[in-house]
Order: sequence, then structure tokens, then C-alpha cells
Amino acid sequence: MKSISLYRDNGTWLCSVHPFTKLMYITFAILVPLFIHSLWAYAALIILDIAILISGKILKRSRPLIIFSLTIIVTIFIIKGLFDENNVSKLFSIGPIIFYKEGLMKALRTDAVIINMLLSFAAFVLTTRPSDLTEELEKHGLPPRLCYVITSVFNIIPQMMGTVNTIMDAQKSRGMETEGKLSVRIKAFIPLITPVVSSSLINTRERAIALEVRGFGSRSKRSFVHSWKKHRGDKAITIMLFAAIILSALWRIFIWLS
Amino acid sequence: MAFIEIENLRYRYPSSEHFALDGISLQIEKGSFLGIIGRNGAGKSTLASAIAGLVPQFYKGAYGGRVLVDSLDASRTPVSTLSSKVGLVFQNPFNQLSGAADNVYDEICFGMQNFAIDRDEMIRRADQVLSLMGMTEYKDRNPFDLSGGQMQRVALSSVLVMEPDVIILDEPTSQLDPQGSEEVFQAVDKLRERGITVIMIEQKIDKIAKYSDHILLLENGKTIGYGTPEELFANYDTTRYGVLPPAVVQIADALSFRKSNETLPVLEQDAIPLMSEHIIFTEARHTREEATDAIMRAENLSFHYNEGKDVLSSISLSFDSRPTAIIGQNGAGKTTLAKLLKGLLKPSEGRIFFKDIDTKNRTAASIAPDIGYVFQNPDDQIFKPKVLDEVMFGPLNIGMGEAKAKEQAMKALEMVRLETTLERNPYDLDLHERKMVALASVIAMSPSVIIFDEPTIAQDDDGKQMMRDVIAELAKEGKLVISILHDMDLVASSFDRVIAMAHGTVIDDGAPEEVFSHSETLKRAGLEEPHVSSLARKLGSNDTILTVAEFLSLARKV
Repeated sequence: MKSISLYRDNGTWLCSVHPFTKLMYITFAILVPLFIHSLWAYAALIILDIAILISGKILKRSRPLIIFSLTIIVTIFIIKGLFDENNVSKLFSIGPIIFYKEGLMKALRTDAVIINMLLSFAAFVLTTRPSDLTEELEKHGLPPRLCYVITSVFNIIPQMMGTVNTIMDAQKSRGMETEGKLSVRIKAFIPLITPVVSSSLINTRERAIALEVRGFGSRSKRSFVHSWKKHRGDKAITIMLFAAIILSALWRIFIWLS
Repeated sequence: MAFIEIENLRYRYPSSEHFALDGISLQIEKGSFLGIIGRNGAGKSTLASAIAGLVPQFYKGAYGGRVLVDSLDASRTPVSTLSSKVGLVFQNPFNQLSGAADNVYDEICFGMQNFAIDRDEMIRRADQVLSLMGMTEYKDRNPFDLSGGQMQRVALSSVLVMEPDVIILDEPTSQLDPQGSEEVFQAVDKLRERGITVIMIEQKIDKIAKYSDHILLLENGKTIGYGTPEELFANYDTTRYGVLPPAVVQIADALSFRKSNETLPVLEQDAIPLMSEHIIFTEARHTREEATDAIMRAENLSFHYNEGKDVLSSISLSFDSRPTAIIGQNGAGKTTLAKLLKGLLKPSEGRIFFKDIDTKNRTAASIAPDIGYVFQNPDDQIFKPKVLDEVMFGPLNIGMGEAKAKEQAMKALEMVRLETTLERNPYDLDLHERKMVALASVIAMSPSVIIFDEPTIAQDDDGKQMMRDVIAELAKEGKLVISILHDMDLVASSFDRVIAMAHGTVIDDGAPEEVFSHSETLKRAGLEEPHVSSLARKLGSNDTILTVAEFLSLARKV
């Protein structure tokens, strides 16, 4: 079954870093350049992101994410470059279309924010098992029911997709075409969706019972079979990242005040 | 006081007019093994739910009487609290997976975590149960990716690790291959030796007779009989209540072999001393249908889901009109082969011919008039609000006119004895009836080939008899029936050809009496010989005897 989680354990150090450390890195990567408010800060962070992705051997797997965001990035460049309200100084033109310096600089800034967020987020989602994250969150006080909802989405959605395939096969076996013209597909909708809905209702009820008989409703505090083997850098890195956020914030306040 | 006390228990489901349980009183001692038998709808699962507290807490409805588990009132103690004492494993393993874990190991630990069991203890128990269930090598796999049989082992393991005082199993082996289900029975028996009370609902009567201390026979929510297996089968005609007695009992009864205490032998080892030297066999003559011209052919068929991992490799088979059973271990590739034949999957290599025409370019839908496929779970296809419309859906799809489609649907519904339910909503029928609706909806298209995937899951003896009749009727009409099966007694009684598979290849192919006489095949394919064959062989028959009727026609008491 195809998992919807992007996580793969490739055995690199990035996979063994605690999820919270990676979350702290995302916070750092977003906030610090924001406080420093310089393009150089963004550039430095993007280089750092890429270095992390390379050393975690996930640069190649981040590519679809980057390509997906390219459309947004290019659109921002075009719209800001052409139509920003502060556009004054002409930078270059393609035929009758004129691009302005102010707009393009603004776009550069916005795009740098997006790329930076995306890359730091990629470092997180590609190397963190969803259930590890929710388990760690639960250990730190998030309600078990909420954690279950988050984790089960990752497991139950692919399973439902499997059910849809089975239903499709069952109806094909009764001579129903599911592919081809739009009219054919529309006709196939009811015979496919009805069993999907009814079987998910039945499954949900049975699963609720299954959870109950395995003590899920029990009020006692849960224990955990996994104890996170701390990466030796976890604590130090978290402190350093946190310190960097505070320092950059203080610097911003200092600038404001002076 | 007994560990479980049930006093005059009566219960009615919210939307029903009938009592599902009607005045049941029972005492179950700690460390005993109780088997519950009866036809579909007798109240077996409802009784199990009442002991686990799900009835009435989860299902609501009208409830009277009392169920005490270790002095706790099962109707009032929260299910999650009661679940530390009572573990419940039910039939469909798919819905028992918590959905909270993406690997088998975490799935098994889920319940223990809820009860805050110490981490080292959790690891110890999980490792122990994984090895007991033969699932250690699967511990990192996603539980949703496993086969039905493997999933059932996970479901069972995840209840076993909680070490409840009572474990209730509702047809836990219905999806398992014969050796797999024997392993489950042995594992459960070991638990009983450790003082755990076992309550098991099961259609596999030979097994339940072998392992239970006591058996409870239910009908319409009432207790019909209760006693040790010997007492029960000697004193009650269970056939009247939809339960065929074990083969040994049927034979001993017919040939008047009784034990010194006037009860009937239930186990093979009890019957052999009574019967040996008092039975002689005449030679068996199996009249098998002659092989006809091939209807379907598979040439050098290979299939993989992931590159480099063949699920099927180089299978060449030719199917003629003989009813053909495909048997083998869970995960041997049986369903994959069936789906390839139906065109639901396309082979990675090799070709499939239907009446000498390559099916490569035909969609599964366009093959429907020629090859029908009945899926395991009827709820994967039912969508019409009326049984008749549901059954007419296929015939109309393949271009039959309204009148012809209705005629075909009526004929198919008569074959599965559902002709009185035409106007009813399929969802109001029981699971075993919905299975028959699904079956009829394929038969109504009148294909030349009909493939069944495990048609006897969730069927009682009446249902199995109906399957036998349907298979015989279809064969008489000249149709090729291919069925995937784990029920060896049905294979023995209804099929002229058996194909045994293991690890994606065909390891044996022949008449049932041939295949069941090859002990190496049985071992490699995770199978067991039918109970009658085993008894006959041990009593000195040189032939592989397949059914009780055949045994009785060949054996003479001296």
C-alpha cells in the first residue's frame, strides 16, 4: 500500500534527530531572517537548508516540492515586477512589457521567505515519522485522542484508497466500465461511492469497538514502547537555535528603539 | 463462584423485534475452554459482546439479566476497564487494526500502552507473542499491507499481549489456511494451560470438539445444549440446529460405535481404538468427470507488484470444465492468480487465453459476460436499495434487456434461496445473506467461468451446503467454477480438480484424492488432509477417502 507520509528512513543523521529539534529549526529558519530583515540572511539560511538536505541525502526527494513551488515563485515575480504599487525604476523590458526594480526586489524577498520555509519544512517531513512526532507530542501533554486522529489519518486514508480500488474491481467484474468518456465516469459514480460510504461507516463502527476493547478509552496515563534515543546534538542544537531566535529578536527591538 | 456468571440474560438490538439472547444462564470456570456453536444468527457473537460489555454499553437496546466477570457487572463496568480482564478478537481482522501504528510491532503494543504497562515488560511480551504467532519476521511491516491471515495473527497477538484473564475469539481462524488455524488453536490452548479462560465461537467443528472442555449450542438466542463435547454430540442432534457434528462423530454414530460410557467418540485418537479391527474397507472408485477441451489457458504467467519481487512466477495452467479448487497458504498468490484470470490485473509476463483468444486487450468490464468474479466482501459491491435491482445490475451492464435481466436475476436468486427477499434492502440482510446476494449478482450474468474467492467465510453448515449445491448446479450447466478455498472438506466434497500453490508457484495439480494423498504437498502448502481422510488412513484404508458419505459406503463393520 502506498503510504501518504513522505517519511522514509534512509539511515542518515537527520532521521535520528528528535522531531522537536527539527521543529525548532523550522521556527529558527522562519523567524531569524524575518527579524534580521536582510536578503543576505535569507540567502544564508537557504544555503544552510540546502546543506542540511544534502547531508541528510534528501535533496533529490525535495525536488518535487521545489518544482511544485516554482509556479508560485514565478507568478510572484511577474505580478510584483509588473504591477507593484511602488514600481518606479525600470529594470528591463521584454518587448512592450516593463519590469520594475522595486517590485522585483519585493518579489525576491517574498520568494526567499517561501523557499526558505519550504526547504526547512522538507528537512522535517521527509525525515520524521508521523507517529514519532505525535508520540513525542503526547509525551509532552497533547491529548491521546488528538494524537490518534493525526496518526490514524496517515494510516487509514491509504487503507480507504485500497478499499476504493477493491470496490472499483468488484463493479468492473459486473461489467461496469469506469474509464473512458466523461458520461461513462459519471454513470460509474453512484455504484462506486455508495459502497465506499457504507463500508467506511461499518468500518468506523467496528474500529471504534476495536479501540475500546484495547483500552483506548482507559483514563490512566499511557506508557510508551519507544523511548527516543537522543541524538547527541539534540539539546545543544535546540539551545543554540533558540538563542539565535532570541538574539535576532532583541536585535530587531534594539533597531526599533534606536 | 465461577469466574464468569451469566444469569437469565436477555437482550434485544435497538432496531429488532426479536430477542438476540433469550434467557441464557451459564457459569464459566477460570482456565476452561468453552466452545460456542450454532447456525448464523443464533446469538453467538451477541453473547460474546455481552461478556465483553459491548452489549449493552456500545450497542444499546433492551437488556435484562446479569453478566458478572470476576464479580464486575459487564453491563456497567466501562468497556475500556473491562478490557483489562476480557480480550476480544473478532472475525474481520481488517477493522481490528487500530490505525494508530504503521508497523506490526507498534500495533501489538498499542493496547499495552493504553494500560500503561512498563516498557521492558511490553517489549518482553511483544517479542514473546510475535514468536508464538510466527510473526517476528513481519514486525516492521505495515499491518495494512499484510494478507488477511497475517492480519488476523496480528489482531490475535495484540489481544494476547494484554494477558487478559478471559479471551473471547469470534471465528478467529476463518481467514487462515488450515495449518495457520491449527497453530492458532494450539497457541490458544497454551494460554488455557496458563490459566486463561478461553471462549471461542467457531464453525470448524472438528477443531472446537478437539480443544473445548465444554460446548454451548445456541439457537434463536436460547441454550439448546451444554456439556463436554462427548456429552453434547451424544445427546443432541446438532444437525437440526445447523451444525454438522465432527466427521468422527458422524461415522461412529452411523456405524454404532459407542464408548463404554455410551457417549460417542469425538476425537480421532478415541475413535481409532474403538474402530480398528472392526472396520474393513472395500476399494474406492472415484468417478471423476473427464477432462474436456480447455476453456481458459494461462501460459508462463508471472506477476509482480514491485519490480524484482515476483508474486507469481512462470505459471502455466489449462482449465477445462471440471470444478477446480485453488488451495494453499495465506500469501501463496491464489487471489493474484484469480485476479489475473479475470483481467483485473495484467500479467507482467505471459499470456491468458479465454477460448483461445488472448485477453490482453480486454478490460475487466468487457470480460464480465465471459468470466465472473465473486469478491470476498459483499459490502464492496452492494449499492442498490433493493435486492432484485442489485442482482440485475450486472446483467443490465453487459447489455441484456430489462426482461431478460430480470429473468436471469430471479433464476440466480432462486439458486441461492433468496427469492423471497426481492424487495428488501440488501443492507437489512445478514452478512451471510449479503454474500449470497453478491454471488447471485455474478451468476445472473451467466458467464462461462465463475471465480469464487473464499466463498465459505462467515457461512455456517447450511450456507456451506448451499455453496455445494450452487457449485454442482453451475457445473451441471457446463460452467467452469474456479474457487479459492481454505475449507478442505468443501474441496473434498465439491471439486474434481485441485491446484495447490505455494510461494507463487503451482506445486501440485490433480484430483482431490491424489493431491490429499501427497503429504509433501500438504506440508508445503500449509494444508491439512480432510478429517475423514485422516481417520480412514489410520484405520487401514489404502485409498484417500474424501467425505463421510464415501467412508460409510466403503466401510463395513465386522
